[in-house]
Amino acid sequence: MLNVTGLAKRHANAGRPLFSGLELTVAAGETVALVGESGVGKSTLLNCIAGLETADAGSIRIGPRAVDIVGLDETARAALRARQIGFVFQAFHILPTLTVAQNIAVPLLLRGVPLKAQPARIDALLDAVGLRGFAGRWPTTLSGGELQRVAIARALVHRPSLILADEPTGNLDPRTADEVLTRLLDNVRQQQAGALIVTHSQQVARRCHRILTLTPDGLR
Amino acid sequence: MNTLAWWLIRAQFRTRRVATSLSMLAIALGVALGYAIHLINAAALADFSRAMNSVQGEPDAVIVGRDSAGSVPLTVVEAIARDPAVQSVVPVIDTRVRLAGAPAPLRLIGLDVFSAATMMPKLMPRQDATATDAPIFAGGVFASPAVLRQLNAAIGDTVTLQRGDRQWTTRLAGDLPALGPDERLLVADIAWVQAHFGPDDAVGEARVRLTPDTDPAAWRDELARRLPPGLLLRAADDENARVSNLSLAYRVNLNVLALVALLTGAFLVFATQLTAVAQRSTQFALLGVLGLSPRRRLLQVLLEGLAIGVPGALLGLALGYALALAFTRLLGGDLGGGFFSTGTTTLVPAPLPALGFLALGALASLAGAVYPAYLNRRQALAHALHAGFAQTPRARPARPLVPALRLLALALLAGGLSRLPAWSGLPLAGYAAIAVLLVIGIAAAPWLTRWIFGLCAGLPLPATQRIALQNVAQAPLMAQVAAGGLIVSFALTASMVIMVGSFRVAVDRWLDDVLPAPLYLRSKATPLPEDLLAALARPDTPFARVEGMAHATLTLDPRRPNVTLIVRELDRLDPAARLPFTGPLSVPPDETLPVVWISEPLREIYGIAPGQTLRLPLLGGSVEVFVGGVWRDYSRQFGAVTIGADDYRRLGGRFQANDLALWPRPGQNAAAETWLAPYARRDGLEVAETAEIRQLSLAIFDKSFAVTYALEAAAMLIGLFGLAVTLAAGVWLRARELATLGALGFNRRMLGRAVTLEGALIAIIGLLIGLACGVAIGAVLTHVVNPQAFHWRMPLHIPWPTVLGAAALTLAAAIAASHAAARQATRLPLAQVLAGSQ
Ligand SMILES: Nc1ncnc2c1ncn2[C@@H]1O[C@H](COP(=O)(O)OP(=O)(O)OP(=O)(O)O)[C@@H](O)[C@H]1O
Ligand SMILES: [Mg+2]
Repeated sequence: MLNVTGLAKRHANAGRPLFSGLELTVAAGETVALVGESGVGKSTLLNCIAGLETADAGSIRIGPRAVDIVGLDETARAALRARQIGFVFQAFHILPTLTVAQNIAVPLLLRGVPLKAQPARIDALLDAVGLRGFAGRWPTTLSGGELQRVAIARALVHRPSLILADEPTGNLDPRTADEVLTRLLDNVRQQQAGALIVTHSQQVARRCHRILTLTPDGLR
Repeated sequence: MNTLAWWLIRAQFRTRRVATSLSMLAIALGVALGYAIHLINAAALADFSRAMNSVQGEPDAVIVGRDSAGSVPLTVVEAIARDPAVQSVVPVIDTRVRLAGAPAPLRLIGLDVFSAATMMPKLMPRQDATATDAPIFAGGVFASPAVLRQLNAAIGDTVTLQRGDRQWTTRLAGDLPALGPDERLLVADIAWVQAHFGPDDAVGEARVRLTPDTDPAAWRDELARRLPPGLLLRAADDENARVSNLSLAYRVNLNVLALVALLTGAFLVFATQLTAVAQRSTQFALLGVLGLSPRRRLLQVLLEGLAIGVPGALLGLALGYALALAFTRLLGGDLGGGFFSTGTTTLVPAPLPALGFLALGALASLAGAVYPAYLNRRQALAHALHAGFAQTPRARPARPLVPALRLLALALLAGGLSRLPAWSGLPLAGYAAIAVLLVIGIAAAPWLTRWIFGLCAGLPLPATQRIALQNVAQAPLMAQVAAGGLIVSFALTASMVIMVGSFRVAVDRWLDDVLPAPLYLRSKATPLPEDLLAALARPDTPFARVEGMAHATLTLDPRRPNVTLIVRELDRLDPAARLPFTGPLSVPPDETLPVVWISEPLREIYGIAPGQTLRLPLLGGSVEVFVGGVWRDYSRQFGAVTIGADDYRRLGGRFQANDLALWPRPGQNAAAETWLAPYARRDGLEVAETAEIRQLSLAIFDKSFAVTYALEAAAMLIGLFGLAVTLAAGVWLRARELATLGALGFNRRMLGRAVTLEGALIAIIGLLIGLACGVAIGAVLTHVVNPQAFHWRMPLHIPWPTVLGAAALTLAAAIAASHAAARQATRLPLAQVLAGSQ
């Protein structure tokens, strides 16, 4: 589902590169935890994989057809994200002016799926994240844990092959974090997607199939 | 439309109701003004040409005298009738008579019923059914329905027609059923009209219909070469061109004002969409991360602009129609220009212009959304997702010299443009100069801001003030937008105030010059009765001095509006006693050469210089006259020529005064008016004191500029609203920073004060620059646009109290608007903002 080879990235104006010659693979149905010290470049790696930042060298192949996002232009990268990648952020990023159901439907709309074709899909996902009956609610009336579960539903709704999560439980208390994580991991496995989850929490990391540590010298 | 786009637009309308609806209203206002002006003018023009057509029919050519007192000799008419290319010639006498009992003179058209039937079917009379003989040959007159209604007369009644000293008592023999309800005129047989009012061996004009296989243009060219110099050959198209030329400059000016309103609407859409983009930068970044393509991020903002513009423009069309309707109902079909004085006007909302204005409104809103859309597309997703809106990092100018040179180049451009001549009668270069001046103002704003900060940086300021200063300095884009709106709106308002003020002062002084006598007597277009003139000539009247004046029209160029010929009793050697000359007088080289004094518009339009000789189409011939000087005239936009009554008589003209200037003997003002009263009552003459005429003239002046005051007020409101919107957005953009300040113990009141102060600073900068631009634009309007569009020159006069008062008022309003924005700042959910979840 994800195959990174020879990846190098150095920020403009920065002295030494964050990483170079980086290799990383995530298989279908596999969940991988990415840990490392603050400032080591975990978010940057995720951004490169999603095509939000451009890599200096290497290839990043995503999805069953192994499309290399590094060689694509901005529009094609956006299209690839819409088809193959689901996102969960530390800061939730739920659109405040759309209802819960509308938020979840956004990736479907971005893929060009007509809304009427998929009402059952949204209900099913609301069920899967334990938010049955929340469809018409406005995001401002939801708690942080609920918001993050909406984000998980949104990340999965269009059946992406890769889930990227940057500290998905960073803003949640331990009990809620555990519940949210369970929902995420369960659904990722069920959909046979791959997941790369950046986290500072040992508890979260231990529940993944594999743990990778990013250091200034590379991935371990 | 795409579902997601639609959701976002709906959300935008729901969450930013005030900003979107005000932008919509601003667009609506611009469209409404433009459309209303269009509707009123189109209706007035249509009325005019309809009236023209029913009287004139549709001839291939019209032969008339160039001088309104002139006529077409019957020999010429007969010669044309013999031409094999001519199918028919209709001789017509078109004159004005006074009907006893009617307040204003009426148009009387004498024609030959048989030959007129084919060419002017609308003028066909309907005879009284009870009459035995054909009354048209027995000297009866036929009245249009409007005249019958006005006189409250019935067919068969006896009426007395009167023109100067001649009278004709006759019968109302029938009506003119084909004429519209507003057309007031009389028709009679041409022989009778000629016998009573006309020249013996001539007619007023001859209308020619050619045989179908004749090329009218070629025939006209050929005939024009053979015609005597006092006669003019006109095509029907000339007439339409003249009518449209008549009000062209006035219409264009009003349309420019409407365009300004539309532009301010576009500015408001710009401010709204820019802040909308800024506020939602994390949301747009998220959508981008989820896979919304850059093109669609751009399109979304443009679509939102259209979603404001299209309903706004539709509303504007409805509003414009209502406005035009109200205007024509209340004030008659005339925008204060005085060009059309038809009675009631029918508005015809044609689909094509309506679509055009709809497109214009949509385009304005689209234009306003372009830069915000571009900024939105350019946002770096990863950065915007975490840190919010980033203004495009502008390349710092390497040396401050570069922008200075750029401003200088722009200033030179504006100066150059304001020196260019009019382009096909329109001051387009002048308008361009105004646009460049506005650009200079906006470009100078960051400069002035930096300079003021330079001054303030050294001062020991309390925390609130320092924060405000920093905020203005840190959000240059927002500050520039807010200041830009104020600069443009205040500059336009101040310049209009200056232009109108200069004009009013000039008109006021001019009225002093042109109204030297204390009392005036006027007959509307017909000569004054002989017995009155004879009575005035006797020594026992209460008048010390009486001077007569007659008006006629001349056609110098058939495609331009007619020129007024003023024949008046004045001293050939001292015309300056009566006319306000703009320059030195030239003395004719020859005692016998007639002298004329031309008005300023005439000099501008026809390029005639004092001291030269000129051939004027006078009294049926072409007469060489000497141009003795140029006098100022604000009342006849298309030019006037004054000639002394003595010169006119020497040329063989008959001087019949229709206006009199009267100087009562000392202390006999009341007696003078009593003396005139019976004549005025009997003949429907107007007697007016100079003070009344002045007052009326200035009232008309003020009325014709009323439209511009409304537009100025609208522009100011829009500028202020732009300030409030951008300030509020600026607060939102810096929410995190303000929240941090809050967390550091900066209380909400201090926060509010800082934001208010920030608004006041921006407003002061905007107003200072706006004032400077306003004076410059006022000068361009006064010295370039006015002379080019209307041929009126006047000295610049800046009404400082009004201008500074407006500035103070705007500043107060700006502070109030900032205060409103500050209240929003203090209501920010600080904790939530700090937690980063918004
Ligand atoms: N746009 C940028 N330009 C320059 N340097 C940057 C940029 N973005 C990030 N960096 C630097 O790159 C390094 C890695 O940042 P990154 O956000 O990837 O770290 P991280 O591992 O996610 O840290 P954390 O665990 O705190 O989130 C940091 O030193 C950061 O300062
Ligand atoms: Mg990070």
